Amino acid sequence: MNQIAPILPAANVVVGLDSSSKKRVFEQAGLLFENHHGIARAVVYDALFDREKLGSTGLGQGIAIPHGRIKGIKDALGAFIRLAAPVPFDAPDGQPVDTLFVLLVPAAANERHLQLLSELAQMFSDKPFRDSLAAAPDAATIHTLFQQWRAN
Amino acid sequence: MDQVNTLLLLSGVLLFLGVLASTLSARLGLPFLLIFLVVGMLAGEDGPGGIRFDDFGASFFVGNLALAIILLDGGLRTRISTFRVALWPATALATWGVIATAALLGAFCTWLLGVDWRYGLLMGSIVGSTDAAAVFNLLRHSGVRLNERVGATLEIESGANDPMAILLVTVLVGIIAGTGVSTPEGVLLQLVTQFVIGAALGIGAGRLLAELLRRVRLAEGLYALLIISGGLTVFAATNQLGGSGFLAIYLAGVIVGNQRTRATSHVLKVMDGMAWLAQAGMFLLLGLLVTPSHLVNYFWESLAVALFLTFVARPLVVAVTLKPFRFPNREIAYISWVGLRGAVPIVLAVFPVMAGIPESRLLFDVTFAVVLFSLLVQGATVPWAARRLDVEVPHGAEPLESKEVWIGRETVLALVAFRVEAQSLAIGMLPSSLTDLRGRPVRCAALVRRGRPLLAPSATALKADDIVWLLASPEQVENLTALFGRQEQSGHLAVRNFFGEFVLDADSSAAALAATYGMELDAAESERSIGDLLAKRLGRRPVVGDRVGIGSMELTVRAISGNRVDSVGLKMSKSH
Repeated sequence: MNQIAPILPAANVVVGLDSSSKKRVFEQAGLLFENHHGIARAVVYDALFDREKLGSTGLGQGIAIPHGRIKGIKDALGAFIRLAAPVPFDAPDGQPVDTLFVLLVPAAANERHLQLLSELAQMFSDKPFRDSLAAAPDAATIHTLFQQWRAN
Repeated sequence: MDQVNTLLLLSGVLLFLGVLASTLSARLGLPFLLIFLVVGMLAGEDGPGGIRFDDFGASFFVGNLALAIILLDGGLRTRISTFRVALWPATALATWGVIATAALLGAFCTWLLGVDWRYGLLMGSIVGSTDAAAVFNLLRHSGVRLNERVGATLEIESGANDPMAILLVTVLVGIIAGTGVSTPEGVLLQLVTQFVIGAALGIGAGRLLAELLRRVRLAEGLYALLIISGGLTVFAATNQLGGSGFLAIYLAGVIVGNQRTRATSHVLKVMDGMAWLAQAGMFLLLGLLVTPSHLVNYFWESLAVALFLTFVARPLVVAVTLKPFRFPNREIAYISWVGLRGAVPIVLAVFPVMAGIPESRLLFDVTFAVVLFSLLVQGATVPWAARRLDVEVPHGAEPLESKEVWIGRETVLALVAFRVEAQSLAIGMLPSSLTDLRGRPVRCAALVRRGRPLLAPSATALKADDIVWLLASPEQVENLTALFGRQEQSGHLAVRNFFGEFVLDADSSAAALAATYGMELDAAESERSIGDLLAKRLGRRPVVGDRVGIGSMELTVRAISGNRVDSVGLKMSKSH
């Protein structure tokens, strides 16, 4: 079992989302967390955007891990989004992004924040995993992939 | 006529064998100079060649000429931009460092060999200077890239310490032979005179040559000859006037090499071959000159001198010199270890022989053995030590070829060829929409796949081992090397392991970083940018690869532009 699977409910996997910009994706992510977890969308949007001011959360190869601390949530929460078409993201390799994992953590969980980010980065650097994510036909398949991933 | 022909045949054959043998050096991980030395020794009186060669005069002439060419080449390749982090540390090592090493080793030799202190000091001065050519040649072949501070310090030191060592030897030989001054004030005055005249003439001549290079239109191949002949003129004229010709020709090289003109790349290409020939020729000759069976006579003494130099004198001097510049200990250790001795000491050992100083054969044989030890033991461990001491940084692909397009006095366009390495970022990209890592477009002029050029490659994705020819602006080239280089997937040098998961903009605020990840910063630090916070905690000029731990995270300098940190890697856990 990895640390990511428990924080990613099946409903938080979205495939084929239409979006035109980084800003727009964050708004859509905010809406998702508002609908599923009752976190105000503006709070999510602001947290993600503030982090982005430090430098892009793009990892390269079309993948990004936007993240932020949210006051008042009890445990970390994730959402996986695959866009219909890539959007510009200032990623370190200059490539636009179409695969995002949005991570929200409670304000007090500093160590856990870092561990989750580190594990996510490790997941996405695993090429077979990346390839199967890209090839997955629907949200359910992707959710299963996250459940099954193990660090090697 | 017969004699002339024999000589030509002999030099031809030796050089030819040497060149062929040098391809071995990369594979064996040994300095190629060592190969030439061995070829020379094999051809000599104790080897199968059986050639008796004792002409110290000819060796002295060739040695001086070769040294001048090597220093000129070293100067031409010294980038003033590397002065940013290394000028003062390297200058300190090249001046007081040489004197201190010579003094320590001199005291040791005086005691060990039971000779007069002036001989001891002469011995110390002869082996006082380091040789970077050997180091960089090895590093290039082993695919290791040193961090900028270590690389630049070693490079500038080795270029600039030869004149100092030569100066010391010249003065000491003068004292011992009774032809020079012998009072301490006199010695000091002579050192200063040599230095000042050498520096003044070198800088003046450098400016003049650079200006000529810019104005005169010559056939491509002639530019280098202009520089070489100009350099030799300065060298000899400075010596004539009582200055240090070696310092002069080195400085002239530095100035010419840093004024980029349309001729610079031609000059460097020709100089590559010339410097190589100079080194090879000199080592061949020196290999012939030495009588290997004599080396055995002083085996233990030589070994003791080599060990003392490597394990006591050099580390002590490097540590004392570099500590004030706040070099990390592992970098000090590496710079100490890579103080390779090369051609210069052997040529310097010929000086006393020429001056007819008694015991000079002893000096020559011991010097020879010390250099052999250094090349064999230190030379073979240069890449290993770099990994061991963590002074490596990840690097991209070297361009296969690079051509500059000049318009007037500006270089406006670079035409570069890269091989797409396996597991590089470029794989799968379309040549028609290539961008560098900042998203700025580059133009793919041609794609060569399996040896066949595709002139209109717009619709095919890049594959490993394709060769792409790109038109880009000159400042994009460095950025492109990361695109085509193999991305290590695991290990210390994998980009994610080395720099961390995320890239931060160095100009963004440290307080915002602290707020995002819940770290503690004191009030003064919160007002800084992330780049300044890093520079402040490091307490020295940052280079790519410098790390600072903050809380349980780690920040690593990822890119530098000019003197400022440009981007910073953020790692979620500390690496060591």
